Amino acid sequence: MKHRHPTNWRGYVFVAPATIYLAVFALVPMLLAGWMSLHRWHLLKDDHPFVGVANYLTLARDPFFRNTIGNTLLYAACAVPLGVLTSLAVALLVARQLRGVGLFRTLFYIPAVSSQVALSMVWIWILLPGEQGLINFCLDRLNAWLGTGIPTDTNFLGRPGWAMAALVAMSLWVGLGPRMVIFLAGLHAIPEPLYEAAALDGCNARQRFWYITLPQLAPTTLFVVVTTTIAAFQLFTPVYMMTKGGPRRTTDVVLYHIFNEAWQKFEVGMASAQSYVLFAIILLAAAFQFWIMRRGLREEAVQ
Amino acid sequence: MRVIAVVSLVSAVVLLAILSRATRGRAASPPQIVLRVANWGSPAVESSFMTLEREIRGEFERQHSGVRVQFEQIPGFGQYAPKLLMMHVSGSVPDVVALDASSAAVFINNGVVCDLAPFIARDPEFHLADYFEKVVQIFRRDERVYSIPLDFTPMMLFFNRKLFDAAGVPYPQRGWTWNDFLHTAQMLTTPPDQPGAAPRQYGMHFMNVMPFWVLWLWTNGGDVLDTEGRRATGHFDGPRSVEAVQFLTDLMLKYHVAPTIDEGKAAGVDLFRAGRAAMDVKGHWMMIDYRADGLEFGVVELPTNTGRPSTVIYAAGLSIMSKAQHPDLAWEYIKFMTSRDVQIRRVASGLAISSNRQAAARYAGTPVEDAFIAAVEYARAPWGATVERYPVVEGLGEEMMEDLLRSRAALGVAVELHHAAELIDAALTEP
Repeated sequence: MKHRHPTNWRGYVFVAPATIYLAVFALVPMLLAGWMSLHRWHLLKDDHPFVGVANYLTLARDPFFRNTIGNTLLYAACAVPLGVLTSLAVALLVARQLRGVGLFRTLFYIPAVSSQVALSMVWIWILLPGEQGLINFCLDRLNAWLGTGIPTDTNFLGRPGWAMAALVAMSLWVGLGPRMVIFLAGLHAIPEPLYEAAALDGCNARQRFWYITLPQLAPTTLFVVVTTTIAAFQLFTPVYMMTKGGPRRTTDVVLYHIFNEAWQKFEVGMASAQSYVLFAIILLAAAFQFWIMRRGLREEAVQ
Repeated sequence: MRVIAVVSLVSAVVLLAILSRATRGRAASPPQIVLRVANWGSPAVESSFMTLEREIRGEFERQHSGVRVQFEQIPGFGQYAPKLLMMHVSGSVPDVVALDASSAAVFINNGVVCDLAPFIARDPEFHLADYFEKVVQIFRRDERVYSIPLDFTPMMLFFNRKLFDAAGVPYPQRGWTWNDFLHTAQMLTTPPDQPGAAPRQYGMHFMNVMPFWVLWLWTNGGDVLDTEGRRATGHFDGPRSVEAVQFLTDLMLKYHVAPTIDEGKAAGVDLFRAGRAAMDVKGHWMMIDYRADGLEFGVVELPTNTGRPSTVIYAAGLSIMSKAQHPDLAWEYIKFMTSRDVQIRRVASGLAISSNRQAAARYAGTPVEDAFIAAVEYARAPWGATVERYPVVEGLGEEMMEDLLRSRAALGVAVELHHAAELIDAALTEP
């Protein structure tokens, strides 16, 4: 009994830095935002009258906010499945022990260590209309070469639809590295004897993938899906840099909208309410994914 | 190895400590007041104008010993006001700030900048009458003066003389109407080489920037808001405004005398500056670039349908933040910067017209300059000088214009304007 107490005490000392950090920079601001969301709170005005849930009711009626929710869901619905599939495919490719595979792993990871602002600038140049844009430039050369008539003046970031597609495309590329690394770790953790046993049983490559790799990767996949989903709901920098929510608010996603509400209009009360709505959505999405995955795992265990 | 590492680390720390002590001691020897001055713009752009401004600030420092002017440039289009307002909220503010008339309301209405009337009253050397009355009024609320105007520009119609000469079209004259304008623009538009392509030369350059196109509403007798600046319905969607917006969209979609949004973007250059558009509505500041490019241009008032000309004055003034550390020194700085001699040197670049009338008179006498100064008579203050949420209005207006310009089969200008007016009303009245 006697030596137990000091051990506890030391444990608290060790977790204190992280706990204090989280409390000061995450928990307190979160609670404060909740408090502010119940007020009409303009940063430059002195009085902050309590309005109850009025901000939330306004949001429920606000067509612009509903639009941002729709945009965000659309983005997540495209970026998450595509992002997970592409990174899984790439991870399977670079998981093989080939010469020079380290180079490819590094190349695919480079976007993840670059500034999102710099990456957005690069993508702006890729997507510009006419001669200045890389895609349009290549199309132009292709036209000259093959005699095709593909239009080369598409303003990808200025056209509704195209702008969202461009953001999704960029997210696939930027998020590829981190997701790939996690899948790689998951792939390496699959016990080799499983494959050996399957080979002895005469399984072909597709069966090995379907009956061993994929089920064994389930926890990894869950993790990647959840983190990718959360990241998709928190899309901000490329929108801020590339589209400013346009054209016609088709890329006005929730986080960008919140930013404008708070730091352009200074309505921090309303912005806090929007943040809480986003928080609820992410929480629900993550819970749903966990539930799905857990049910899947349980069924497997039963089988 | 380890011993060496530890020893070198310790000696490095000691050395750093000594160095920082030494530098601190040196910096502390003359007691120095730091006057923080903020302006918009990007510090990366180095020009002769910025060199001149630095020299002028240096002179102020020499006149006030022990004072160092710390110049803080805040880059990013549309980021200037939010950044300063955040500084105000956090309490760490520059002493002097340049105020843009089109975003002045939020500063004035919320007490972010202070009333300069007491400074003026105390100072026998300073006379508000030395400045253009029209421009002073923009920053004024009754007896309270929130900014001393630095310089300003009415928005004018620029035309490329060479392109007019080449087409044999007479230069536009005062008192011209929209019909004259359309006719002129059509004569200056060169059809494309192949059908379906973009014209080789446009009569008019157009960008969907509401501060530039709002004037077309005014020259047709329409407006965005009522005189109080509270409502858009009945004004932005009124018949005069509808006509104006219809005319603007027709310039691009029907007559094709101005580039569509995509054509403008694909060109990648300022078409007027590149000599590929014959006319443009811009301010005085563009003359720096036009002159540098050797563009031969003339300036005329905007065409009008109301029988009298109309335009907007965009102005910059210097203000003292209400939380400034050194308000009295800030006032000295403002007085210095807006004084006749400094102003004469500042506007020599062509940036704008000095709001100091004596300094402005120095550059008068050329047709271009006189056209600008004549516009002061009839020009109006921008809405943003009095309506705090006007940036939101402009955002909604530009979205509406973009909608109209992109989808030819839309519900029509009147419906779109009515919809936009309702959104603006909601944005202006929401708590």
